[in-house]
Amino acid sequence: MSAIHLQGLVKRFGQFTALKTMDLAIADGEFMALLGPSGCGKSTTMNMIAGMERPSEGRILFGNQDVTGLPMGRRGVGFVFQNYAIFTHMTVRQNLSYGLRMMGRPASEVASRTGTMAEMLGLTALLDRPAAGLSVNILQRLAIGRSAVMEPAIFLLDEPLSNVDAAFRAVMRTELKSLQRQFRQTMVYVTHDQLEAMTMADRIAVMDHGVLQQVGTPLEVYNDPVNTFVARFIGAPGMNLLPGRLLQHAGGLCVDLGPLGISAPLPGPLAAAAASAPAEVIYGFRPEEVQLDPAAPLGLPLTVTERIGARSILHLGEGETSVRAVFQSGEPLPEAGLVRFQPAAAAVRLFDAATGRAIRGV
Amino acid sequence: MQRSLPFQLFRYAAIALALAITLVPILWMVSMAFKPFSEWQSAGANLTWIPNAPTLDNFRFLFGDSGSDLIVALDRTAGKPILSSLLSATIGTVIAMTAGTAAAYGLSRFGSGANLPLALIQLRLFPPMAVMIPVMMMWAFLGLMDTWWGLALIYGIVTLPFAFWLMKTFFDDMPKEIEEAALVEGCSRLRVFTRVTLPMMAAPLAAAALFVFILNWSDYLIALLLTTREWVTIPVYMASLSSSMTGQLYGAKAALGLIAAVPPVILGIMIQKHLVRGLTFGALKQ
Amino acid sequence: MTSAPTPEKDDGAGLGLRLTLPAQVLVLFISLFPLLMQLYISLTDWSPLSGMAWPRAWEFWNTFANYLDLVSDDRLWSALGRTALVMAVCVPLEFGLGLALATLFVDDFPGKRVAYSILIMPMMVVPAVAGYMFFMLFQSGGPVNDILSWFTAEPVSIAWLSDPTLALIAVMAADIWQWTPLMFLILLAGLVGVPDDQIKAATLLGASPVQRFLTIVIPRMKTIIVIALAIRCIEAFKIFDTLYIMTGGGPGVATETISVYIYKITTQDLIWGYVAAIALAILLVLSLLAVWAMRRMAK
Repeated sequence: MSAIHLQGLVKRFGQFTALKTMDLAIADGEFMALLGPSGCGKSTTMNMIAGMERPSEGRILFGNQDVTGLPMGRRGVGFVFQNYAIFTHMTVRQNLSYGLRMMGRPASEVASRTGTMAEMLGLTALLDRPAAGLSVNILQRLAIGRSAVMEPAIFLLDEPLSNVDAAFRAVMRTELKSLQRQFRQTMVYVTHDQLEAMTMADRIAVMDHGVLQQVGTPLEVYNDPVNTFVARFIGAPGMNLLPGRLLQHAGGLCVDLGPLGISAPLPGPLAAAAASAPAEVIYGFRPEEVQLDPAAPLGLPLTVTERIGARSILHLGEGETSVRAVFQSGEPLPEAGLVRFQPAAAAVRLFDAATGRAIRGV
Repeated sequence: MQRSLPFQLFRYAAIALALAITLVPILWMVSMAFKPFSEWQSAGANLTWIPNAPTLDNFRFLFGDSGSDLIVALDRTAGKPILSSLLSATIGTVIAMTAGTAAAYGLSRFGSGANLPLALIQLRLFPPMAVMIPVMMMWAFLGLMDTWWGLALIYGIVTLPFAFWLMKTFFDDMPKEIEEAALVEGCSRLRVFTRVTLPMMAAPLAAAALFVFILNWSDYLIALLLTTREWVTIPVYMASLSSSMTGQLYGAKAALGLIAAVPPVILGIMIQKHLVRGLTFGALKQ
Repeated sequence: MTSAPTPEKDDGAGLGLRLTLPAQVLVLFISLFPLLMQLYISLTDWSPLSGMAWPRAWEFWNTFANYLDLVSDDRLWSALGRTALVMAVCVPLEFGLGLALATLFVDDFPGKRVAYSILIMPMMVVPAVAGYMFFMLFQSGGPVNDILSWFTAEPVSIAWLSDPTLALIAVMAADIWQWTPLMFLILLAGLVGVPDDQIKAATLLGASPVQRFLTIVIPRMKTIIVIALAIRCIEAFKIFDTLYIMTGGGPGVATETISVYIYKITTQDLIWGYVAAIALAILLVLSLLAVWAMRRMAK
């Protein structure tokens, strides 16, 4: 039983509240990413799951067992530190076997389990090397192996890829995912990199300023962000968000986007939901959903074109009224001047300008 | 990390015990220093932990005031030994810090004097007792016996290892960019050292100097061998404070001990965060 | 002229030499002359009482007689043995107590700064004064006996400093009182330097507090422990001030350590030729030990 339930979790450090009433259920065997900018409370949450911090309020359950008061040594969770916390005064083998040795497992079992884990992570040749002086990439595997060899039901990873180089990061993303599939542990993965969260996690918990913003599958948080923070944070680049006013125009409910012009009429369900909303709204759409069309209702001058391999990003306008649009590199793109465009009708999202919350058509 | 209540209680109990053991000898001396003669020898059931009639007589006695109820009078007061300790320790510190700082900079920046680190460690390794005979002979030859300046010179040499090692680690830790910038501006290297580096290192220099001063001030053995009468230092003078009529002059000695103990304790607490570095020859920077 | 040195580089090397010169002169002054003088008179029977200045010590030439004498000098060997005993008792106790105290100071608690400042006070007390403090404490009518009498319910009047064994214990107590703080200070710096993450990682892998201490904390502090022990051993070998003030080496020779012995034969027996031989022998042995230790450390 290794589901994790966080119930009404609050963490205060003196006057500062790092986490405000967090409720989250992580299913057995699920890969959950805690995603957010630094200071959002994700690491605090993870430290409380591991038992390094005691919650100010609320409960933590593993399965049906309340572990809130259980000290960290007895929770049986695997933990990979951001800086790996490798025991540099030991060899690779001593690091891998540390937990098993401390638990007093028989020498033969220690040797075989350590050997298997080393084989799986490609560390066999390095087993008798001192851990000091190994490359970051190796240390990273070693850190994972050292916890994984204990076969914990719950595995916590604190930004494990933030120190490794970009090429290796891509490799490790796949490796971590396959490792988790193999063991079926419940995995909680803290990161500020939305790409890591999107590619690996079964579900993502987006956090900001100590508040859980949204929990959902990668597609859910990508397609239906609950507020402008999530909309902006997920995706690279994030969602285009433009301030505007609702108005009746051209036979439907549209959004007046000021200098850009007036949008096409909102699709039916969204228009129905927006009808009862305040007039001040934020008009959002993904950069990937922009269609170029000389007859389109919206227009902005081209600022810069960024060409990054397979994709090109058009930057239109400046400041509050700027829009980014992503295209496959093969598509013909304008070189300069006013660009007319519109988002695909189904891609339009509306947010309440005052609260930032999504206005959703059902 | 959260600590359990029993651990907290155990910790406070253990620390309280350690504090008591630390403080009893010190407080006893303080108590003795303020006790009138009649309470010095109290013992057994009459042992007085806190003076019944606190008095400054012991301090007055040290400086020649015969107002105390002792029949004896000192043939020499404590004034000159205090002066001797002050002069020799201070000038010794100046010698050690000047030679040590200059050499440390020379090694740290220009790699000169590569033999010094080891030579100075060796100097510290040997018991002073094992080199004192030739030193006494040399001091006699140079007319340095029983002078505060003779003491200052040997103190300067004995504490040179600490001054050198401390300043070397400070210079090693100092970022070189500022000096390089000054060089580019056209300053000579000597000018960079005196006008840029030293002012920047004012705080570490002060800490090292205080540390060296404490060591010099604390000496007993060297002064015991190199001074005889005129310029004896406080510890040597204190040991000589005995009288056939009163036996040990407990109160006066305690008062003098207090005078000797207060400066280094205060200075030591002031430079607390550099103590580890100093005591380990800079090997540990805390 | 391609090989002309740049003026700036020349400036640096020259300045370096000039800066290190005073220290070099002082080191040479205190090592070369004394060593040669010591070697010279150690080969003679010269004494300051001999009525002749030391340069004429050759008139008392006895070749290696002094060195042969010291081999059979029982008082020297027992002083060395006693010094070794003091080191063997005091240094481990100071280490153990210092380490135990330091473990209590790793994390914060109310009153920590004050307690810390008080605990490190003894090592800053002038050793001679510390000696006098303990001289007073161990008087037969003094506070130590008074405190003991709280437990025995009858007056205690042990004459600590007049009993050969008890005097040695008293002297060791003074040394432990004064130098445990040094161990505490250094070892605490070492303990604080052990990365928190390593401790947490070991904890999460199921290591008990004792296991963490043995497998993470101690190995990570190895260098610091070696330094602390080396410093204390070197200083304990020199032990003089406290001890001499407390007992003067007595009763008899019961607390006579090597420094006290040399001091006594220097100032009382005045057999300086012989003292020089002992001193040189000690310097030689310590140098060999130091070289051996450095070699081992380098490995």
